[in-house]
Amino acid sequence: MAAATSFNFDTANLQNLTEMKDIQEAYDLLCKEESKIAEEIDDLLDHQTNLESKMSSLYRSVPNLQVVSSDAKQLGSMVSFTSDLAENVSGKVRQLDLAKGRVQDAIQRVNDVLDLKFCTDGVQTALQSEDYEKAAGHIHRYLSLDEKVLKQITPDSKEGGSVDVALHVLQDAKLNLTKIVREKFDIALQTADRASVERFFKIFPLLGLHDEGLEKFSKYLKSQIADRCQEQLAQAATLDPADRRAAVVYADTLTILFEDVGKVVEIHQPLVETYYGPGRLLQLIQWLQAECDKQASKIVDDFIKHREFNVKSRQVQAFLHRGGGRSSTTHERLDPRDLDVMLAECTLLNSRTEMYLRFIRNRVMNDLESVDEDDKTRGNKTADLEKLLRECLLSRRIQELIGNYIVMEEYFMRESVTKAESMDSLEQGSHTSSMVDDIFFILKKCTKRAISSGSVDCACALLNHTTTILEGDYQEKLYSKLRAGFPSGSFDVAQAYSMLQQGRFPTSSSDTNAAKLEFMTTLNNIEVSLEYIQSLKRSLTEECAALLSQNKDVGKDKLESCLNDLGAVTHKFKDVLDVSTFYVNLIADNKFNGMQMVQYGLSQLSTSAIKPRLKPWVENFLSVNHNITEDEFSMYEANDPFVQNFIMNLEQLLAEFKDFMTASNYDALVSLVTNEVTTQLEQTVLRSVFNRLGGLHFDKELRSLVTYLTSVTQWTIRDKFARLTQMATILNLERVAEILDYWGQNSGPLTWRLTPTEVRQVLSLRVDFRSEDIKRLKL
Amino acid sequence: MEDYKYLFKVVLIGNAGVGKTCLVRRFTQGLFPPGQGATIGVDFMIKTVEIGGDKVKLQVWDTAGQERFRSITQSYYHSADALVLVYDITSRESFNSLPGWVKEVEQYASRKIISVLVGNKLDLHTEREITVEEGNSCAESHNMRFLETSAKDADNVDRLFLDIAVELTNNVRNVEIKNGPIEEEIRDHGSVQGCCR
Ligand SMILES: Nc1nc2c(ncn2[C@@H]2O[C@H](COP(=O)(O)OP(=O)(O)OP(=O)(O)O)[C@@H](O)[C@H]2O)c(=O)[nH]1
Ligand SMILES: [Mg+2]
Repeated sequence: MAAATSFNFDTANLQNLTEMKDIQEAYDLLCKEESKIAEEIDDLLDHQTNLESKMSSLYRSVPNLQVVSSDAKQLGSMVSFTSDLAENVSGKVRQLDLAKGRVQDAIQRVNDVLDLKFCTDGVQTALQSEDYEKAAGHIHRYLSLDEKVLKQITPDSKEGGSVDVALHVLQDAKLNLTKIVREKFDIALQTADRASVERFFKIFPLLGLHDEGLEKFSKYLKSQIADRCQEQLAQAATLDPADRRAAVVYADTLTILFEDVGKVVEIHQPLVETYYGPGRLLQLIQWLQAECDKQASKIVDDFIKHREFNVKSRQVQAFLHRGGGRSSTTHERLDPRDLDVMLAECTLLNSRTEMYLRFIRNRVMNDLESVDEDDKTRGNKTADLEKLLRECLLSRRIQELIGNYIVMEEYFMRESVTKAESMDSLEQGSHTSSMVDDIFFILKKCTKRAISSGSVDCACALLNHTTTILEGDYQEKLYSKLRAGFPSGSFDVAQAYSMLQQGRFPTSSSDTNAAKLEFMTTLNNIEVSLEYIQSLKRSLTEECAALLSQNKDVGKDKLESCLNDLGAVTHKFKDVLDVSTFYVNLIADNKFNGMQMVQYGLSQLSTSAIKPRLKPWVENFLSVNHNITEDEFSMYEANDPFVQNFIMNLEQLLAEFKDFMTASNYDALVSLVTNEVTTQLEQTVLRSVFNRLGGLHFDKELRSLVTYLTSVTQWTIRDKFARLTQMATILNLERVAEILDYWGQNSGPLTWRLTPTEVRQVLSLRVDFRSEDIKRLKL
Repeated sequence: MEDYKYLFKVVLIGNAGVGKTCLVRRFTQGLFPPGQGATIGVDFMIKTVEIGGDKVKLQVWDTAGQERFRSITQSYYHSADALVLVYDITSRESFNSLPGWVKEVEQYASRKIISVLVGNKLDLHTEREITVEEGNSCAESHNMRFLETSAKDADNVDRLFLDIAVELTNNVRNVEIKNGPIEEEIRDHGSVQGCCR
């Protein structure tokens, strides 16, 4: 039994047990085992009755099973009998069906023969009465007959039999009719007889000449398109230059051509579908596009000729190949304004073309999808369509045009930017100079125009150029002005403005006031530019909305990537500058992320205009005794010898700049000044001595200063004063050991910004503290 | 945030028909496209690779070689981190056009760009018109690295792009060293793995 084997009591050792305790243990174990086994036996006995009743019920079922077996056999034989029977019956039905089919075929043949007779008679009379539609109808019926079968089933199928004669007659009639229809169609074509053209166009498919009919018809449509386009071009050539549409006349002419082709498709597609069946549009379009290409090419030629497109393009290329030639004189340069109008028409030519090609694609795709074809055939046709759209002469000519457009638009943009820079001026009361608004206006205008061309690649190209200009020339221009630094000395505003000539900064002047004004203006220009870059990106993204929704996948990815690069220029402004080499520690907080150029500018400002002026004011602190009596303390309270003056000086300093800075630059300046004040003041405090009352007074001085600075900026100041405030706390202690109430475990919410060494240093400023006590402190 | 540490732009240029599109497709999709047409404007594909434990995203701009798209192509030079200039070793004409391309690059690209000269269609070596030595010395004279590839047989294609990715990554890391902990330079491809986007 399982229980016995699991019982690991060693019976052999039982004899060797001598200790009473061991024996008792062994006995207990055995007892436990016994009761367990007893339980198991009871359990098994309980099951016995159950098992017995099951056995007896099984015995009772045995006879039943024998009956079931014989029943099953009987059922089997019945099923196979039925199946044989059914097989028999259905065989007969099949034979009947076959017979019926043959009878139908026979009837069909008889009908065919009758039809043949009918057609033979009918076609001749129809031809005689020039009822070509009817004649063609008969021939169509004849063509649908199976000639071979007809010859087999009729007994006189040998040469000269009646069926054979009939077939000959019809054959002749077909040739005859084809000849007539061709002739008549050509005449109709020459006389531009629209009704006849459409009449015979419908007869071709009845004669099984679908391709020929469609091709002839497309010739007619092509000549119509060509005629109208020539008319339009002639009109364009003689259009009064003062006309409202004169500036875009070639775009208009191209548009009319596209509309004509579109109309032709619109009107004739249902006709083609009815008489020639669906799925033939691609073929028709291929023929029509050849004409569209030819006419569009003529329009482009005229555009190039009359707008002097190539001449201008070559001028721009030559200029660019001289290496951007800043040195080239103005008279050999092309005035950007001469390009403006032509560039706009250029984008219009492209956007109209894109629209037309989209229309054609949709139409043909719909037609292809309406036919039930296997995927491969349809795939091939779709590829044919895409190839046609991509490589047709129209596409190539327009791509060429846009290629040259991009070069000229870039030139236009760069030249206009250069001009805006050279005409830069500052109006009194304005924080930024004119060039910022002007340049961003130009960038937006040009890129917007490129986007309006409807070409993703063209839009991307100009987005790229915009990014390049901002990252390159523009940034360098601003940066170089900052690099010159902020001249030291005081700042006379009236004097500065008087130096400006019609708002322009003097190019070479020893006047430091004007230089200072320019420096601060540059700082503002940069700050505003950062904002403008983001809003430029936003508005150009909006301009791209249509393009983004029309172009899935790659087109969308490309646009988004180029737009993102533009947005990232803000970061690049900082990349160029290795800020770490400048006074990073002077720079306020980290709020200026991505604005290091501004920070660099401010640090320049700080070095020359702020640090040196603060220094003597802070030094004044030393001339005020902080080891004082009660009387002196109350005297100080009534009439403060340091901080009032200091605040007044700060006020004056900040006021000098406030009017010339944008709000956020001013805040940055206050922050910078605060940093400088705290740094210098800290050093100065460490050079003073204090007693308790002096410490108390210092605390008051500090509070006044914090209150003042807090009142002039949006930013929080208190944190910058953390170290000084903690120094004041220390200088205010009653006893040396009192510091322990604030230190370590007792510091509570206070985070110490001073190191233990610094704490000792500050404690030692107190004349009344003994240095042994300070040394003994455990910090 | 997207899942990569560095993003680099690689721009392919060179005459029409030298196999730029095939190289890009081979690298990004692992296939040799049968009978695809000439590129119109620029095409754009992305592949993320792992370089020394960091995900590096390569943005590959496949430009059209045909003259009428030149101004579109040029607009991408400035922001490119690497340029791949491709010719066809069975076409003297494509090789002779290289100086023109180099001149364009010098005019538009930023100075710190990495450029690689690639002689493609290595599998057609029986029809070779340009020797390895010629290719090599052309690359040397323009300060470019040099490689012969076959987009068809996948010869050197991964190596071309991965070398670029490794070099660019090392360059960025060297800049970062100034501000952060020094990372070890990657010298071989042992730690380089391709992975799809
Ligand atoms: N034998 C061989 N043929 C190649 C190879 N690479 C490309 N080809 C063929 O060269 C032709 C042109 O290849 P593409 O990749 O389209 O050339 P591309 O440089 O992109 O041309 P554009 O887009 O017009 O600038 C195609 O027929 C390719 O099959 C190669 O490595 N070996
Ligand atoms: Mg290509």
